[in-house]
Amino acid sequence: MDISKYIDYTLLAPTSTERSIIDLCHTAIKNGYYSVCVSSSYVPLAKQLLEKSGIKICSVIGFPLGAMATSAKVYEAKQAINDGADEIEMVMNLGYLKSKNYVSVLKDISDVKLAIGNKTLKVILEVSELNKNEIIKACEIILDANADFIKTSSGFSKSGATLTVVKIIKKTVKFGIKICASGGISDYETAKKYIDIGVSRITASSGFKIKQPV
Amino acid sequence: MKPINQYIDHTLLKSTASINDIGKHCEEARHHRFFSVCVNGCNVSLAKELLLHSSVKVCSVVGFPFGSTSTSAKVEETKHALKNGADEIDMVINLGFLKSKKYDEVVNDIKSVKNCMPDKALKVIIETCYLDKEEITMATQLAIKGGADFVKTSTGLGTGGATLDDVKLIKSVCSEDVKIKASGGIRDYETALEYLNLGVDRLGTSSGVAILKSVAVHSSY
Repeated sequence: MDISKYIDYTLLAPTSTERSIIDLCHTAIKNGYYSVCVSSSYVPLAKQLLEKSGIKICSVIGFPLGAMATSAKVYEAKQAINDGADEIEMVMNLGYLKSKNYVSVLKDISDVKLAIGNKTLKVILEVSELNKNEIIKACEIILDANADFIKTSSGFSKSGATLTVVKIIKKTVKFGIKICASGGISDYETAKKYIDIGVSRITASSGFKIKQPV
Repeated sequence: MKPINQYIDHTLLKSTASINDIGKHCEEARHHRFFSVCVNGCNVSLAKELLLHSSVKVCSVVGFPFGSTSTSAKVEETKHALKNGADEIDMVINLGFLKSKKYDEVVNDIKSVKNCMPDKALKVIIETCYLDKEEITMATQLAIKGGADFVKTSTGLGTGGATLDDVKLIKSVCSEDVKIKASGGIRDYETALEYLNLGVDRLGTSSGVAILKSVAVHSSY
């Protein structure tokens, strides 16, 4: 199967240069990936590079800690959309979740969703920081907030997606929301395993081996 | 030299910090009379409320820890933190722009934030662990050009924290009126003292309480 259309091709290291963003966009065009995912300060450059390519631009927000004030996340999201982003990936507020302040977790997400209208919102759980009950609770809140995707990981924490965690998420949300698996998925076979259990999008970074082994 | 507690920004920036963690943190700061607490944007109003009627200031990070958020988002985050009671701002420079040699954009990023807070202290984090000597010199110059009140070494979440050599280098570039904040990996009294002896004006650390305990041990000799 062709998995290129499942791939968000991602470069978020804080030291990424313009040159590396140009390379990212060129590889995305060459391989026909679904999108590139970049920091909000690189959205205008990506927009310029991907004009008329059909490849979408995804901007991270409140990244990677998710501990910005809600209004700052809202503003960063709006600005990214104005600069040309098609999708927003925000990190949920983990401190609020740990404090069982669920109203504030929900408001943080739904305020961003309201601000970006019909653009796609992915919410990063950062599963490496959560236990099973927290993952289930977070999924329920994200469903309530009308986000479009649950994404497992920022890629900058202790660890990324696991098949076990994705199965827990899938069991919780059923078909209510799409799932994006991220963190440490580096080749076709691994990506395929996630797609087989119902994942709709895969985060991949430089060096991802797109080819199906023969 | 002031008492050592007055140099310390008591820092809690873990993304999973709960209301209880912030409560405990602010109580420690009040008890030990640290200069400030340094927290994430979402915790500024809580910290301010907990530290009312104390001398402890509240410091908010901005664009943290990557510095790669858009300039206008950093500005908005700063305005919001100030409105919620932040006394100081610690922002991260745009490291990608620095590495791309887009120096005007690095300065503009800093200047735009400083413009929101002419009378308050702006600390600019250059994240030395990702920079070579030339880049540290350049980043320090750009921070000063952007209006930084402090040049700060590290987020504490990069691959390394402050080093004495890096602080000496920053010091050699800074004029008298620009201060230095050393942060990242300062966990005991001896290390803290080494930085203060170099002329550092502020220490960012989550080990303030441990540092003060070892001061007590030293003074009992």
